[in-house]
Amino acid sequence: MVQPQFLGRTGTAMDDLLNDFLAETAEILAEAGGAIVAWEADPADRAQLDAIFRLVHTIKGSSGFLALPRVTALSHAAEDALDQVRRGNRDANAALVSGVLGILDRLGDLCTALGQAGVEPAGDDRDVIGALSEQAASDEAPFDVAGVPLRRDDDFGAELQSWRSIRVPLSLLDSVMTGVTDIVLARNEFARMLRESGADLSLIASFDRLSDSIAGMRQSVSQMRMQRIDKLFSPLPRIVRDLAQEMGKKIAFQTSGGEVELDREMMENIRDPLIHIVRNAIDHGVEALEERVAAGKDVTATIAVSARQSGNQIEIEIRDDGRGLSPDALVAKAIASRLMTATEARALGPKERLELIFRPGFSTAAKITSVSGRGVGMDIVKANVEKIGGVVELRNEEGRGLTILLRVPMTLTIISGLMVRAAGQYFAIPRGAVREILLESGDTVRIDQLGGGELATVRGEQFPLLRLENVLGRERDTADDSDDRALVIVRPGQGQSYALSVAAIHDHEELVIKPAAPMIMATGLYAGTTLPDNGRPVLLLDVQGLLAAAAIDATEAGRSHDRSAEAETEAAAARNAAQLLLFRDTNGRIRGVRLSVIERVEEVPVSTLFESAGRVQVRIGEDIFPVHAATLPEGEGSVKLLRLYDGQAVLCYPIAEVIDIVRLPDAVQPSVAPGLIAGVALVAGEPVELIDPFWLMAQYAAEGAAPVLRRPLCRFADDSDGWGDNFLAPILRNAGYRVVSGEDEPDETPDVLLCIEEGAACALADGAVPVIRLRASIAAAGPEDETVYRYDRQALLDAMRRSVGGAGE
Amino acid sequence: MMEKLYLIARIADTRVALRSRAINSVVTVGTPVEVPAAPPHVAGLFALRSRVFTLIDPHVVIGLPAVPVAPGQRVIVVEVAEHGYALLADQIEDVCFIEAAETRIAGKLLPGWARVADAMIEHEGASLLVVDPSNFITLPALKAA
Repeated sequence: MVQPQFLGRTGTAMDDLLNDFLAETAEILAEAGGAIVAWEADPADRAQLDAIFRLVHTIKGSSGFLALPRVTALSHAAEDALDQVRRGNRDANAALVSGVLGILDRLGDLCTALGQAGVEPAGDDRDVIGALSEQAASDEAPFDVAGVPLRRDDDFGAELQSWRSIRVPLSLLDSVMTGVTDIVLARNEFARMLRESGADLSLIASFDRLSDSIAGMRQSVSQMRMQRIDKLFSPLPRIVRDLAQEMGKKIAFQTSGGEVELDREMMENIRDPLIHIVRNAIDHGVEALEERVAAGKDVTATIAVSARQSGNQIEIEIRDDGRGLSPDALVAKAIASRLMTATEARALGPKERLELIFRPGFSTAAKITSVSGRGVGMDIVKANVEKIGGVVELRNEEGRGLTILLRVPMTLTIISGLMVRAAGQYFAIPRGAVREILLESGDTVRIDQLGGGELATVRGEQFPLLRLENVLGRERDTADDSDDRALVIVRPGQGQSYALSVAAIHDHEELVIKPAAPMIMATGLYAGTTLPDNGRPVLLLDVQGLLAAAAIDATEAGRSHDRSAEAETEAAAARNAAQLLLFRDTNGRIRGVRLSVIERVEEVPVSTLFESAGRVQVRIGEDIFPVHAATLPEGEGSVKLLRLYDGQAVLCYPIAEVIDIVRLPDAVQPSVAPGLIAGVALVAGEPVELIDPFWLMAQYAAEGAAPVLRRPLCRFADDSDGWGDNFLAPILRNAGYRVVSGEDEPDETPDVLLCIEEGAACALADGAVPVIRLRASIAAAGPEDETVYRYDRQALLDAMRRSVGGAGE
Repeated sequence: MMEKLYLIARIADTRVALRSRAINSVVTVGTPVEVPAAPPHVAGLFALRSRVFTLIDPHVVIGLPAVPVAPGQRVIVVEVAEHGYALLADQIEDVCFIEAAETRIAGKLLPGWARVADAMIEHEGASLLVVDPSNFITLPALKAA
């Protein structure tokens, strides 16, 4: 957590104190930022509020001691505001949270300056403090608190202690660790000798006491280098909140696996890459609200950061459900920015195309935003991760999201290992990858021989079976009882699992994992070595590598039902059933419509809208739809349309912007008379007019005007002078017909034949297709004359409609 | 001075002078822990203080059949690329300064020795092959790759 830029000077005792304060404050600020964002999401969470209060209180306490008046004043203001909330005199709202965050930011700036100069810079903090108290004034506290509120400071004593820390050179820690491990081995040796020598009980008892304290010491020493990865995650919620707000995106941020422990030094190396990837996901990955609705996604994007221990590696996964990477766009970009020639680009495989983002000087953003363009690219991320022996992996689903996986090795890591025996020796399996342990002879297990391979079925779930001896190329040890073998269900990664058969299970042990010699790692079967208390080295199995060595496909997909995915779909279906799309109408009003009637959101150029026969319509692709608007929108640019679909017809409803998707409120105040607005409901305290899709569709369906999706085909006959093509076809197309002309036989049978030249024989008429004949004179030849005057638009369209019973107006 | 310091030992039935730069110590080992599926010159793992060392059988590197590791066997502990290894030795003779210069190898060696030997040196009336201990470790790794 120590931000290096804070730590400038060392030397005197005062400087040491200051440096400690800076390190501590940096840690607190990062943690407080995350805690405040969490609290904003749930202001009722009293525990979270108390925690934030204590953090701020700690800064105030330490700064008073060091005589830093600005820091003290700032932290006092924040503490005061939070205390008002704790006492119920003030409501927690977004403004208050922003105010407190503003103070934390100022504190961060001050600390940076402190670290460089060693003294608190002069300046004025009234702006940020004022922002917080103004808010209080407008809130109008219900009563004034007389005097200074009393607070029992010793309440916070315990928490204060937990923040005290010192910094120690890494090499010193390492030598302490090696020393303690040696002590443990010596103790084991000594214990064995003591037992063999038949020493008296009092000697053994005092040795046991020594032994216990050694065990305790070993544990504390092991923990010294390790830190929960939570620390790395704590500043992220704040970053996501600020960035999402700035960019007008809605993002749900989740972290998991915070309990995974990682070497402190390693942690420092992945902090910046992690933050960069999260920023990228918000900036480039997550689409704008309308784009998400248009793509049929939840308006609120999800960014999930999770950590997982996998063998001797820590996997940190940053997953978003945004637009993902487009390999074609990447290649185009690379060529445009002269990173490669088109010829080189063509030679790239799909994976290489994605990995273009790691090229120096490559930025995927179409335009530079305030977030991107900071000179840090994915190339730096990759370099940083590789520097510590890690790898960066991309899992791209174009249009559905991007997952970036950072795998970093765990050196000097302590993992919980399961000791198993095979071929007469012990091996360790990372406990985290073990799902279940069973006896091969158990009732719930069935083992089938399948064409040379083996399959284990456990309670209906099938797993490929690996025998550890076979994978390692060893014979089974004759001393092992073959009836008593154990099955370990191993899950090396997401969506993969297999059964590993071993001779016996020994026990669990906390193991310090160290890398094995390169030629041993090169076998791909081992993830490292470890030295348990008995002093005999044990190899840690690479549970993923075993799979590769056995050349088995262990993916779970298709093997068994993915229950979680199913549950998710169900939940989404339940949500859709009662969800409301909130949008801003073109007249600025906030309105809502049930999400289920929206087919999608279109964004079309204004020029595709046209007026025809007094109605506004829009051409989208090959189709023409009515638009619910009195007049054509003016100006250039584009217009957003909600596409309502009732199963037969489509109606477009112009809007200004999509706001959100919310649960449909239970209480709706219905309108007095049927109309566009079905009623009014309260959403987050604001009245929202609910559109009545039934009424709306009825307006356009009444005259059969809403177009059926298949538009009738009209064929011109005898159009020798092109009048039909030039004069008639545009009108018919506007009215929703497709038109073909010329003598060529069309692919499909026309719905109506239009004979244009008066008196021509109309050779194409064969009786199967209705025929409409046009005449050039305005007057009909007689009462029997069924021809239509060729400039009588209405009569012609009526005739068309009678003939095909179809669309048009 | 260090360049002149050599460990004289009998390895794979041959007396050699090992350059002492990378040599940490000479210790005895018990029964090593086998590493299934490892390259053939890996004779196993053993622990020394709290470190795990990889035991290398020079016989295999030279192209001879592997020898079993007897408890109490003396091994030469070396450090190569931050990993600890130990070379099985038939016999450890002496650590000494050799003033004579290393000379180019004259004559034809077995292919195995030709791979690992760097030079020759004259010591107490006998010619010894000069070997860098790391050659026993890195060379087979290169070959495997």
